[in-house]
Amino acid sequence: MTEARLVEDLLAFIAAGEADEEAFNRMALAVFAHQFETNAPYRRFATQRARTLRTVKSWRDVPAVPISAFKDLTLSGRPPEECPHVFMTSGTTKGVRGKSHHPTLAVYDRSMTVNFRRRFMGDFERLRMGILFPTEQAMPNSSLAHYLALARSEFGTADSRYFVSDAGLDVDGAVEELSRAEATGEPYALLGASFSVVHLMDALAERGRRFALPAGSRILDTGGFKGQSREMAAEEFYGRLSAAFGVPRRLCINMYGMTELSTQFYDDGNEACPSVKSGPHWIRSRVINPLTGQEVPRGSTGVLVHHDLAHFNCASAILTEDAGVEVEGGFQLLGRADGADAKGCSMAVEDFLKAARAP
Amino acid sequence: MDFRDRTVLVTGASRGIGAAIAKAFAAEGAAVAVNYLQNAEAAEAVAAACRDLGREAGGDAWAVQADVTDAGAVNRMVERTAEEFGKIDVVVNNAFRPYAFDPEKRKLFWDTDWADYRGQVDGALLGTYNVCRAVLPVMRRRPGGSIVNMATDLVARPTVPYHDYTTAKAALVGFSRNLAAELGPLGIRVNCVAPGLVCPTDASRATKEDVKDAIVAQTPLRRIATPEDVTGPVLFLASGWSRFMTGQVLYVDGGLVMG
Amino acid sequence: MERAGHLPGLSADAVDWRTLTFRRGAETLDVAVPVLTEAQIAEVATRVRTNARACLKNRTVAEIAAVIDRAVARLLDRNGPWRQKAERLLPLVTGYDAEMVRLGLTGYLKTFRGPELRKFLAEDFANPAVLDDFQPMPKGGFARAFGPELLLHVWAGNVPGLPLWSLISGLLVKAGTVGKLPSAEPLFAGWFAQILAEIDPELAGCIAIVWWRGGDETTERAWLARADTVVAYGGNDALEAIRARVPVTARFLPYGHKISFAMVARSALDAAKAGAVARQAAYDVARYDQQGCYSPQTVFVERGGRVSPREFAGYLAHELDAIGSKFPRRSLSMAEAGSVASWRNAEETKGFADPSRALLGDPAGSWAVAYTDAADGLLPCGLNRTVTVVAVDRLADAVPGLAPYRAFLQTVGIAAAPEELFALAGALGAVGVTRLCALGRMTAPEAGWHHDGRFNLLDLVTMTEIEGSAERAADAFAPYTD
Repeated sequence: MTEARLVEDLLAFIAAGEADEEAFNRMALAVFAHQFETNAPYRRFATQRARTLRTVKSWRDVPAVPISAFKDLTLSGRPPEECPHVFMTSGTTKGVRGKSHHPTLAVYDRSMTVNFRRRFMGDFERLRMGILFPTEQAMPNSSLAHYLALARSEFGTADSRYFVSDAGLDVDGAVEELSRAEATGEPYALLGASFSVVHLMDALAERGRRFALPAGSRILDTGGFKGQSREMAAEEFYGRLSAAFGVPRRLCINMYGMTELSTQFYDDGNEACPSVKSGPHWIRSRVINPLTGQEVPRGSTGVLVHHDLAHFNCASAILTEDAGVEVEGGFQLLGRADGADAKGCSMAVEDFLKAARAP
Repeated sequence: MDFRDRTVLVTGASRGIGAAIAKAFAAEGAAVAVNYLQNAEAAEAVAAACRDLGREAGGDAWAVQADVTDAGAVNRMVERTAEEFGKIDVVVNNAFRPYAFDPEKRKLFWDTDWADYRGQVDGALLGTYNVCRAVLPVMRRRPGGSIVNMATDLVARPTVPYHDYTTAKAALVGFSRNLAAELGPLGIRVNCVAPGLVCPTDASRATKEDVKDAIVAQTPLRRIATPEDVTGPVLFLASGWSRFMTGQVLYVDGGLVMG
Repeated sequence: MERAGHLPGLSADAVDWRTLTFRRGAETLDVAVPVLTEAQIAEVATRVRTNARACLKNRTVAEIAAVIDRAVARLLDRNGPWRQKAERLLPLVTGYDAEMVRLGLTGYLKTFRGPELRKFLAEDFANPAVLDDFQPMPKGGFARAFGPELLLHVWAGNVPGLPLWSLISGLLVKAGTVGKLPSAEPLFAGWFAQILAEIDPELAGCIAIVWWRGGDETTERAWLARADTVVAYGGNDALEAIRARVPVTARFLPYGHKISFAMVARSALDAAKAGAVARQAAYDVARYDQQGCYSPQTVFVERGGRVSPREFAGYLAHELDAIGSKFPRRSLSMAEAGSVASWRNAEETKGFADPSRALLGDPAGSWAVAYTDAADGLLPCGLNRTVTVVAVDRLADAVPGLAPYRAFLQTVGIAAAPEELFALAGALGAVGVTRLCALGRMTAPEAGWHHDGRFNLLDLVTMTEIEGSAERAADAFAPYTD
């Protein structure tokens, strides 16, 4: 199947609005075949796992690439130089960034907009937005910058604006805008990286400012906070968020996305933490034992694997480093899956690398 | 026995015992490479039958041509099989050079040329040697590899002295035991299955009824082996059920040979 | 419910206890650990100090060693109640295979029998009597070694019995002893103190075995403030935090996490020997699931032997598989499994860029061997029976790459001919390696081992010297002076 034909099929698949097991399977196998045939490193990876066109018979058989592999391998069906869009992960311990190449953003953008409308916009066609993240021009390789730019252009009013620039967080601008919303009663949407939201809350707290945004206002944060236990941080975070902006916790929505995906997950607000995340019909997730690759019994903690059919040019199935548990209606995120605290006195990789980097 | 996600290469599998073995593996869920020398049509038919039998259990099959006495051809076959399935867990060396089993017309020792011996040694041993050499790098990547070599009970009891054939098979047994000793420390097992006379097969077509009757008379289980009788012990030796067995010869002849 | 620790002079009822729960399969064990108030800390510290002054300092080191020997004998007696308890509970607490714990305990405890303790002493003191009384010194005058009055041990890790090393070292220098139990194995040190109490209550009164929650700064400070010398185990971050709280007047002896590796010369790689060498290396990898600082994480294998490094990796893999059926790996937490998996994934990924690399072992299996032809240096593996075989032209080629890790190198298990052994030993010592041993012995240091190259006993003492001048001057004041 040609790439153009695959893109067409995927757009139709997204448009279909739903997919049963068989339909998902068919599409997943077509995407796998495309990746296997066009992407040599992926083919080697899959073959090593004894997953070939011949042996993969269901979407669950499609081998999931560990996201760390995006740093070492060029996982792209089309030669990278033919891909105008490259999304990269932010810096890592080794300084190597994982890349996702996109020959076209047609599928990415469709995936984003269809899902964003359903999961964030409620009954609104457009909302006035404030974005706590740099622009797409400032961060051309950031998938989040693209995502937020898309949110603004497709769902934001013309006067929506950014509060993050080279100069940093524009607290004054944000205060002005939020005050305006408060005064006019026009519902407002605040979107951005979780850590920027924390910065803004800290800055507001310093000034002793609180807002009571108009009914219907909503907040989207994404990215989480490194180095903290997710549940604890989340509970505190959403408590503060709701208090600082006067937005009920059910409208404080967390988006879970990755550079290595073309589809995002959302929760339905954060009245209870950890919230339940779910995605649209073109992405499915499994919770596996990281060693055996076998699915863990439902309700047990494991590592998340996502099968995102929209990520057609790279690897549609990825093995994350996120621990999670399957629950009714989706999954809960439970933080990072590795980083074991050493039981003995044997040196573990993290410590070693840290030690090696020390002057 | 669950062979789901296991990949098996059976040489000489377009007919007879090899075909029966291939089908038996597929029926238990294995992905089977059906090797053949000449008869593509027959091999495809076996592969199709395998896929049918394996439908429930997840079995699969694929026909692949190679002359096992040609090292280059064997390497290509193994490479292609590894590409097709991603790995090879089990090899059954079943191919052998055609031989006319005819007790009445067999060559007496003084009629048997060294070339006859050499021909059979090439047929039984060279093929197995080539295949073992070629699969080893693939097999060593994962634990639990198993090689099963097809011998004959004539090695232990030359009911009819087919000098060249049986000597070659006896060499194969010795070869297998040495290989078992060498590969044991690498976690790969090597065993032999030694059937008696098996009917119906092309090789035993010429065997007369009176010979069969004589064999049956001396066989405790009172009949001649069928190809399907041979598959059980092969699957057993390929499976984890025999994980602590290597260098063994299992006789499958209704008790004609014991011990 | 098992009560951990040893608190001389405090009744159990007076103390708050916290429960640590350990699970292994269907079995659970609750261990109660003591949580002391600041006042109780002060009380216990004073009592240990006073008792040590009154009891330990007046005993000869030989007398103390004899008591330790008797206590160790009870732990070695397989029919004894303490030993049986240890065999039953330690596997449950640590998760290690029961048979591995049993054999490990015996091998380890043997190194603390009477004659071995004398080796300990002889390693550090030319004349161990210097611990009992002033001894003449070659330079003139006399000297005597005094241990600290209060020695605080901060233990870490779950390798059974590990605290015994420093505990016994402290007793041999007559130190009043307070030990902080590791939460991962909070039983053994307390048991040892309790056995001493059965044999010699007076001596056991000089030892307290306590516990506090990791990160409980207040309690930690309270103890650290009272210690003359602090011996601490753990990762560098943890040690750094402790060091910051140790009074500047106290001596601080940190034992950080270390990394160890193995070396196999081509002389050990002929068709007859390679198998046995692989078996010994596999044993070192499997023992305590590589949790010990002496456990190998990389094996450097020399090219040019009859058995190639790649084949050696295959042997090693199968030996690990075989050991796994005798000593199964303990079940891993999700975090540990994640570490192993990410190491495996990284190795697998590297293999796509470099076909000479290979990863042996089933994802679902309990071990994995990575192989590389590349000039990779030392690199930690994923622990829990994962190891990298690195092929080198000459073993000496591996040494320069070790230099950056000087502070972290510890044991090298080595299979090589005598000349190679000594040539390599010089180079390895120069980059910071402190211990070379036979393969198969990496996890069982011999008695008197200089842990991390340090002097176990000498580091603890201070010398009091009577200079020649004092001696000569004293003469002038003698009643018999002319």
